[in-house]
Amino acid sequence: MFDKILIANRGEIALRILRACKELGINTVAVHSTADADAMHVRLADESVCIGPPPSKDSYLNVPALLAACEITGADAVHPGYGFLSENARFAEILAEHNLHFIGPKAEHIRLMGDKIEAKKTAKKLGIPVVPGSDGAVGPNDDAIAIAQSIGFPVLVKAAAGGGGRGMKVAQTQQDLMLALSTAANEAKSAFGDASVYLEKYLQKPRHIEIQVLGDGRGGAIHLGERDCSLQRRHQKVWEEGPSPALDAAARAKIGATVAKAMQQMKYLGVGTVEFLYEEGEFYFIEMNTRIQVEHPVTEMITGIDLVLEQIRIAAGGDLPLTQEEVVINGHAIECRVNAENPVTFRPSPGKILQYHPPGGLGVRIDSAVYQGYVIPPYYDSLVGKLIVQGKTRGECLMRLRRALDEMVVDGIETTLPLFRALVREPDIIDGDYHIHWLEQYLAGQPPA
Amino acid sequence: MADKPAAKISGSDSALIRELALLLDETSLTEIEIERAGLRVRVARNISIAASVASVSTAIGATASAPAVAASSAPGAAADLSEHPGAVPSPMVGTAYWAPEPGAKPFIEVGARVSVGQTLLIIEAMKTMNQIPSPRAGTVTQILIEDGQPVEFGEPLVIIE
Repeated sequence: MFDKILIANRGEIALRILRACKELGINTVAVHSTADADAMHVRLADESVCIGPPPSKDSYLNVPALLAACEITGADAVHPGYGFLSENARFAEILAEHNLHFIGPKAEHIRLMGDKIEAKKTAKKLGIPVVPGSDGAVGPNDDAIAIAQSIGFPVLVKAAAGGGGRGMKVAQTQQDLMLALSTAANEAKSAFGDASVYLEKYLQKPRHIEIQVLGDGRGGAIHLGERDCSLQRRHQKVWEEGPSPALDAAARAKIGATVAKAMQQMKYLGVGTVEFLYEEGEFYFIEMNTRIQVEHPVTEMITGIDLVLEQIRIAAGGDLPLTQEEVVINGHAIECRVNAENPVTFRPSPGKILQYHPPGGLGVRIDSAVYQGYVIPPYYDSLVGKLIVQGKTRGECLMRLRRALDEMVVDGIETTLPLFRALVREPDIIDGDYHIHWLEQYLAGQPPA
Repeated sequence: MADKPAAKISGSDSALIRELALLLDETSLTEIEIERAGLRVRVARNISIAASVASVSTAIGATASAPAVAASSAPGAAADLSEHPGAVPSPMVGTAYWAPEPGAKPFIEVGARVSVGQTLLIIEAMKTMNQIPSPRAGTVTQILIEDGQPVEFGEPLVIIE
């Protein structure tokens, strides 16, 4: 086991990692920028090192400073948390070159899954379902109609060189297809200088469902069920829950087994998440995150497994804590990401927290690094904390969440708490009837379709 | 806390240092320096550490959290002296050394005149020795770090006035 772990992160996840280290009896080193000198993870760590000025590139992303901090403190492993350097394969390699352990997957797997095209190819090869589409660009000599029919309408015409939604057109029917192809090709030509386009199945109201995995790096891997993260705003997850209201035990076991088998074949090491879009009973691979995720407590609350602790144990060469058959899903959990933002405009609201009262009681958990009098700096993300609530059933969980949200006080800054208090009372949310566009439609004042 | 003497310490030299150290305690002085044929001895106590302990406990007193123990030996002193107009902050994390190699003459000493760009210290980070240049001309009035001490980003290293 490691003797001393340097936590190369800040905020709630730095504190989360510190808690796991303490329970394992491992010494901790907090690193921080000058803006975070008063942060809770710095106060609670055994040692702390200031590594740079406020901008992330000069502090939390500053690899030489992190290595020097390892050197002067004698840390033998680095936990990258999420964001920052957590999915940087080169960082993992540099640490290895300095005889330091990176608490995360093998560098080759980080690199593989970081490349969207390679990731999709690999997923397909490993038997993970992907979005059906044309194999490469659709040229003038190809029978676009036949390809579209084999995919199934509606189809999405996408620019091969595209991004940011440009050069994308939806063809609902065969009649729309030719116009969509020529329009997308023209847009792609003018926007990217490359007219090549390809076809992909267009999902209309998919859910975002992701599978949590844990691998030992030697061919052993299990899945820990799913999280439904369909409530998003600008691709940022807002509310996550598990199990998904859309899956039954059979569907969960099927996709879980497919993913676990793929991870076994890869010899994946550590924690990871395979993300899917889900529509009408079918899963479509989006990407794999090769790190601990923000919403990992949802899985912890329903499986009783400390994911960060297991991640550290496994990085030190440990075995999987249990077999697939021993994994039991208990009840239901929901996480709300409370941000320091205006709940209507989502304008960031950094500043001093004058009053702070976290909710308590059975089945209520707060993962947060703030405290009364803490000043949220303007340089980093706006997460105040995560409220995670567990109940025996989804209904009990929702009532407990409603109670906990009403109890929670964060004054002095604006937070998104009022949004969650409204969401937990929305009939569609109570029914579990929502998809990835639901929240943006709701916020735009449209009745979500 | 004596300077590394250039020559090997003999038995009579160490007796001298012990005597000076006792004298330091008796007189409550912070520093004594003597020089005689071929030997220079400076005995000093680092009062900034004592000051730092007091300032850390008051800073933490307002909160319920446990005090963090910084990697540097004198975080409180850093907080106090970083406001000093003559302070030279560390531009990086690493290990600070007084001299270009063990046993060599230190780059600077208290009372020395330095010019802009003159090397004050070196900081080792990732096996690289980084020379720390003086940002201004003046007189070195305090050296705040020990030879071989780990330093943080922004930690004051020396005071130049």
